[in-house]
Amino acid sequence: MIGSIPLGDVLLASGALFTIGLAGALLRRSAISIFLSTEVMMNAANLALIGYGSAMGSREGQIIVFFIIAIAAAEASVGLAIFVALFRHKETIDVNKINLLKW
Amino acid sequence: MERLVFDAAAALTILFAGLMVMHPHPVKSVLALVVSFFGLAVCYVMLSAPFIAAIQVIVYAGAILVLFLFVLMLLNVGEETRGRERPIQRWLSAAALLVFAGLLLGLLRAHGASAPLSFGPLSGDVAPLARLLFSRYLLPFEALSVLLLAALVGAFVLAQREKGA
Repeated sequence: MIGSIPLGDVLLASGALFTIGLAGALLRRSAISIFLSTEVMMNAANLALIGYGSAMGSREGQIIVFFIIAIAAAEASVGLAIFVALFRHKETIDVNKINLLKW
Repeated sequence: MERLVFDAAAALTILFAGLMVMHPHPVKSVLALVVSFFGLAVCYVMLSAPFIAAIQVIVYAGAILVLFLFVLMLLNVGEETRGRERPIQRWLSAAALLVFAGLLLGLLRAHGASAPLSFGPLSGDVAPLARLLFSRYLLPFEALSVLLLAALVGAFVLAQREKGA
C-alpha cells in the first residue's frame, strides 16, 4: 500500500509527532505528563521505522517496532512504580517540588 | 485514496497528541493520547503493517495507557498548577523547541521527501513476520521475555510498601 503514500508524508507526520512529544516533555510540570510525552516521542520513532521499512520492502522495521513496544511496556510499568514510590515519599509528582538533589 | 486515508489518520494523531500536551488535566490528556494511538494504528495499517497496528491497539492503547490511568487515579493527581517555575525555564524550553523543529523541518526538506525508496509493496501477512521473529530474531525475543519478567519483579518491589514504614 506504500506505493501511493509518499515517504515524505510519513516522515513529516513522524517529525511533527516527535516535536509535539518534545514540547510536552519540556513544558509540562507533572512527572506523569512528561512520561506520556516520552511515549509520544517513542511512537513518532516507531512511525518513521515502519514507514522506512515499508518503503524498502523489508520487514525488519516491523520487527524493531515490535521490540520497541515490548520494551515500552516494561519501561512504563517500572516508571509508574517509581512514581508511586515517589508519591508515597514526597506526596507530590510535580517535578518542580521534587528537588532532593538541589543544593 | 490510500494517501488521503493516511494523511487524515496522521492529522488525527497529531491533533490529539497536541491536545494531550495542551490539556492541564492528566486524565484527559491520557484519554486524548488513546485516540491519538488509534489514529497511529490506522497509519500502520495503511503502511501495510497490520500486526503492528494490532499490538499498538492492544498493548499501547489497551495496556500501557490503562496502566497510566490506574496510577493517575491511584495517586489522585489533579490539574497542574502553572507558573511556579522561573520564566527563564519557559523561555529556554520554547527556544530549544523552536530550534529543534526548525532543524527537523530543514532536514526533511533537504533529504526526506527525495529519498529514493519506493520498492515493491509488502503483503500484510503475519506469517513471514513470525517466521523472521522465531528464526533470525529468536535470541532477542527470548531476551525480551526475561526483560519483561525483570520489569514485573522490579515494578512489584518498587511499588511495595517499605517494611516498618
